[in-house]
Amino acid sequence: MIPFQFITAFLLMTMGIYALLYKRNLIKLVLALDIIDSGIHLLLISFGYRIEAGQIPTAPIYTGYETVKSAMVAPLPQALTLTSIVIGVCVLSLAMALTINAYRHYGSLDVNKLRRLRG
Amino acid sequence: MGSDMGLIVKTTARATIPLIGIFGAYIVSHGHLTPGGGFQGGATIAGAGILFLIAFGFGEMKRRYDHHLYSALEGLGGLAFLGIAMLGMGVAFFYNTLWHSGPFFNGQPGTLLSAGYLPVMNLAVGLKVFAGLVSAMVAIAAYGRWKE
Amino acid sequence: MMLPYLIIIPLFGAFATPIVGLAGRKAREPWAIFITALTLGVAAELFYTVWKSGEILVYTLGAKSPLGQGVGFPIRIVWEVDLLGALFALMVTFIAFVAVLYSSEYMKHDTGLEKYYTLVLVLEVGMLGIAITGDLFNFYVFLEIMSIASYALVAFRNDTWEGIEAGIKYMFTGSLASSFILLGIVLLYGQYGTLTMAYLAKMIAENPTFTAKVALGLLAGGLLFKSGAVPVHMWLADAHPAAPSSISAMLSGLVIKIGGTYALARLAFSVFGMGVSTKTVGWIIILFACATLIVGNAMAIIQTDMKRLFAFSSVGQIGYILLGIGIGLAAYGSDVGNVALAGAIYHTVNHAIMKALLFLVAGAVIHQLGTKNLNELSGIARKMPVTSFAFLVGAAAIIGLPPLNGFASKWLIYESSALFNPFLAAIAIIGTAFCTAAYIRVLFTFFGRPSERVMNATEPGKAMLVPMLILVLAIIVMGLFPWVISEKVMIPAAKTLENAGAYVTALLGGA
Repeated sequence: MIPFQFITAFLLMTMGIYALLYKRNLIKLVLALDIIDSGIHLLLISFGYRIEAGQIPTAPIYTGYETVKSAMVAPLPQALTLTSIVIGVCVLSLAMALTINAYRHYGSLDVNKLRRLRG
Repeated sequence: MGSDMGLIVKTTARATIPLIGIFGAYIVSHGHLTPGGGFQGGATIAGAGILFLIAFGFGEMKRRYDHHLYSALEGLGGLAFLGIAMLGMGVAFFYNTLWHSGPFFNGQPGTLLSAGYLPVMNLAVGLKVFAGLVSAMVAIAAYGRWKE
Repeated sequence: MMLPYLIIIPLFGAFATPIVGLAGRKAREPWAIFITALTLGVAAELFYTVWKSGEILVYTLGAKSPLGQGVGFPIRIVWEVDLLGALFALMVTFIAFVAVLYSSEYMKHDTGLEKYYTLVLVLEVGMLGIAITGDLFNFYVFLEIMSIASYALVAFRNDTWEGIEAGIKYMFTGSLASSFILLGIVLLYGQYGTLTMAYLAKMIAENPTFTAKVALGLLAGGLLFKSGAVPVHMWLADAHPAAPSSISAMLSGLVIKIGGTYALARLAFSVFGMGVSTKTVGWIIILFACATLIVGNAMAIIQTDMKRLFAFSSVGQIGYILLGIGIGLAAYGSDVGNVALAGAIYHTVNHAIMKALLFLVAGAVIHQLGTKNLNELSGIARKMPVTSFAFLVGAAAIIGLPPLNGFASKWLIYESSALFNPFLAAIAIIGTAFCTAAYIRVLFTFFGRPSERVMNATEPGKAMLVPMLILVLAIIVMGLFPWVISEKVMIPAAKTLENAGAYVTALLGGA
């Protein structure tokens, strides 16, 4: 059986790609990029979730880790996801700045109006 | 300029901005022990700055924001990060020399003064993220003024 | 060990640029030139070391050994440099140095220059990182550093609508491609539990699963997106002309190759080479390459905008490089594949120099005349002889005339494709015919009857002429010793890329 978190991640990615292909508003497109990234992050995070010996794992916090009896989730996917989120923030802020600039030049957020470059 | 908010929002912002700042500083300084770290804490502190921008308006923000200072701070954060990464250059780039043989930050794992360069790096990253996000937010807010 | 300084020096330069900018308006350009020159020196030293010893350098971040305590597999981030990576690092630093030298005059009239130089240095860091990294997630981080810097640089002149529109198109396609690449990396991590390329190669060779093939498909798709192969090349034709010309030179000369074809070759050979059928992968790349070759060069003919013509020509030349890589994969291990791969590597280096030169010429014309429309540029050779001479050399080299460097690399690709499959050689030659037609047209414009607009034109200043002449010199010198370079550098580089086993044992030892 496919774990439910993989299905959710796949659905998020599909939704994002659908929005990227069929939506016209620039801000919606920016959000679509973010949704695709969220799906990938969910997939990555869920790879670290491993149930060992029937115990529900806890977050990888090392303070007082001797007293915690249950297993920890793998910390590496969480580190990778954080890195990826930081990259996502950079792309998002750049995309917003470009969107504002596009509105200044074109007076519209419709992506179909951005068709002056041709050839 | 009617871009600032009403009295209730302003008073609440005055009360919460220092608290948000303190919470962000806690996240930065405990980054090596608990979830969080430089980026998350820096983003939290920048949240205080953004709250200030929204509550008091762009005009007030502009008086307190010095573009050169913030871009210099951002550069300084990056330079500090790079410098700490180069401390252990004798062994390898990013070698945690403070943890293995350093004079401080080499305490028992799980205490505040442990983990070698990680707390210092978190401070550097927190500074960079705070300065960068506030600059980005002010720049985006400044875009909105183009009609006036 | 000089390897980490390849990243440290430009990163230091990028972080320090805002602080240096406080010292005065005049301090930024010498600072950026100094940093890029220093990086060029480090890269040259690194290339010489790797070339002389013929070994693969392995550098571990944060410890002496990449292996974890008590476990037999690598857990740390490693950098792994073979001859190919060192060669491309040298190419990146050289073109970046020339572009920065050029922009000291070309960008003089723009504002916000400390951001410009910060972004250029960050772009250089990203490309160097991709060339030297041996860890998949590290590769993704450097790829994103490079991509974000280039989105911002394309839209740098945000007071023009062209820059903004091109920047938005570039950013959406580029981010989608990055998401594909990240998804591929995530799937590989989920399947094999490691991100070190060499160890991953070993695991894939032992157990090639369906997930690994899906991941390869996603990675190849994303990287073809980023290199501007044909079904998805439209962003390239918009983004490269809209950027400032010094940036166009870096984008067209370096970014699409390091972030596209080099990464594709590295993943296909070093990571997946021992696990999947190289013949199938090779033929898929060849199909894309043929479409790219024909469409890119044919579209170049009908352009009236000079920079747009050069951008479409870049698409066409990427086709040659992909063709070489594809034949190298499809004929894996044979002499033909080796020659094709050497041709692809050689052509990457040559095209970086030629296309950088051509975009710098276009920038000089725009700077002096304010237009890049070919119909208004008739007879420019009378007034700007040095610039026109530089263009003549660049165009002759990109067509592949014998005394210049483009000839040798194209010859290697023709020869190997004729031996592999004559039909492919025919397609390559048709592509060259289109390419010739496009450049002859520009040449006629340059040397034709002077129009009114060009009568008042003058040569640009020294800071713009010297970089062009450096590149002209590089083309001519490389053209004088084509077979020596091919024997001494390109064939060994192709051999190291093909030898995936050595890439693994360099990190993991004799296991």
